Amino acid sequence: MREDAIIKLEDVSTVYEGERRPAIKDVNLTLKRNELVYIVGPNASGKTTLLETINGLLPTFKGKVSVFGLDVQSNGRKIRCQIGYVPQDFMVKPGEPYTALDVVLMGRYGQIGFLHHPEEKDKKNALEAMKLIGIEELADRSMGKLSGGQQQKVMLARALAKNPKILLLDEPFSNLDPDSRGQIPSLIIKLHKEKDLTTLIVTHDIHHMLDNCNRVVVVTDGRIMFDGTPEKALPLVENHPHTTSLEATHR
Amino acid sequence: MIWLEFAIMQRALIACILAGFLMGLIGVFVVRMRLSAIGYSMSHGAFAGAALGVATSTNPLATGLLFASATAFLIGPIADKARLHADTITSIVFPLNMALAFVFLTLAPEVGLSSQVANVLWGSIISMTNSDLVYLTTLFAATIAIIYFIWKELFAIMFNRKLAEADGINTKPFIYLIILLSGVVVTFSLKLVGGLLIYALLFNPASTALQFLEDMRAIVVASPLIGMATTTAGLLVSLALDLPVGSCIVIVSTIVFAIVLLLSPKRRRKEV
Repeated sequence: MREDAIIKLEDVSTVYEGERRPAIKDVNLTLKRNELVYIVGPNASGKTTLLETINGLLPTFKGKVSVFGLDVQSNGRKIRCQIGYVPQDFMVKPGEPYTALDVVLMGRYGQIGFLHHPEEKDKKNALEAMKLIGIEELADRSMGKLSGGQQQKVMLARALAKNPKILLLDEPFSNLDPDSRGQIPSLIIKLHKEKDLTTLIVTHDIHHMLDNCNRVVVVTDGRIMFDGTPEKALPLVENHPHTTSLEATHR
Repeated sequence: MIWLEFAIMQRALIACILAGFLMGLIGVFVVRMRLSAIGYSMSHGAFAGAALGVATSTNPLATGLLFASATAFLIGPIADKARLHADTITSIVFPLNMALAFVFLTLAPEVGLSSQVANVLWGSIISMTNSDLVYLTTLFAATIAIIYFIWKELFAIMFNRKLAEADGINTKPFIYLIILLSGVVVTFSLKLVGGLLIYALLFNPASTALQFLEDMRAIVVASPLIGMATTTAGLLVSLALDLPVGSCIVIVSTIVFAIVLLLSPKRRRKEV
């Protein structure tokens, strides 16, 4: 049986430092191995907070988050070594003194461990991840000279370079050109299936999810308002004025 | 160069090379990790500590180190926890350290600007002793060894601290280590440039290297070399014109920064 809970949130609330109002409230969510779940909802509804609570970048105010059966608060570093994370709208300044390969290779640093330096196999892994995303020719290019879409692909390659067990992707396709927007999501879904990943994707592209995912979670005002099949989620999401307008913008 | 035959000048030259290199090296991490406000506060913490040493007739190096470390250990966690804006930290700690430094200097046994007080304020090449060179050489070797072993983590944190955390690096200890290391390097370089100007030596070489290089590894190599070259050139200018060495070093490094800024390929590209 492969029904183990890989990610489990029990009555979790997260409050940003200096704020009174929780960004997510009393969230209960369980993800089993190899599940692909889309998270949708309006802006500032708590989607990013939810992802960063799962990987322990944000401390919980209340409740418990377990990943691989381990408490995230006390095992965050160990857990994050196994999670491929792509943050929302990550852009670097022009002239940033790092190559694309440098940035992808950094994805492996947590696994390489303290006082050790990246070896040839790590570089090979990073280059393979870049090849998979179709950006191997960008390896020696400066990050600051890449377009928004190329930078987003670098971040995806970085997440894949560590051979993760979990993928947390926050609007990972938002800056991609139309061609890549067709290819990259399909590639992620293929990898999800082949590599037995557990994948959470925050997205506004609500139509794409229909064909590919088992489950949709709708987050509004910091709470999970719906957790079910894409078919049932679609009318709910489509009728939300903010989500519809955002989707139109993205398209 | 007849002046090089004097032991004092040889010590000054070696001190310039070692301190210039170290300040240029640590400066890259301080600038890229956005620790400038903390570095600025700590530099003047070292100055206040050295002034206390003069006032109490104890070793200014020891008290300078104590104050720099105390500033680092207090400000690092406070800034992290309270999420203070960099300007807030500087605005509070800089005047406090300067006020303490001047109170201590006023309390110095020899009233007025005695030579020791002047050394703390402006730096002095004749005050460099063989022990100072031993300290600087040890610090030079230790700093390079530390940076070599934790280079991977520093490289990732300088790119983006949050992403480094997301990849499983516990960033706090590395940042605190850099803050502490910069405090120690500042303290041991204080005699050369003086407490009022030492800050410039930490930031000018790194800022210069960042203007024209696009590879972080090259920047980490170039910045110490720029630091070394500007401190040595500043020393030569000070000897030639009979001016305070600290001031000459800072003026030379600022001129180099200004020239590089004007010629920076990064800036030229932006204008196109």
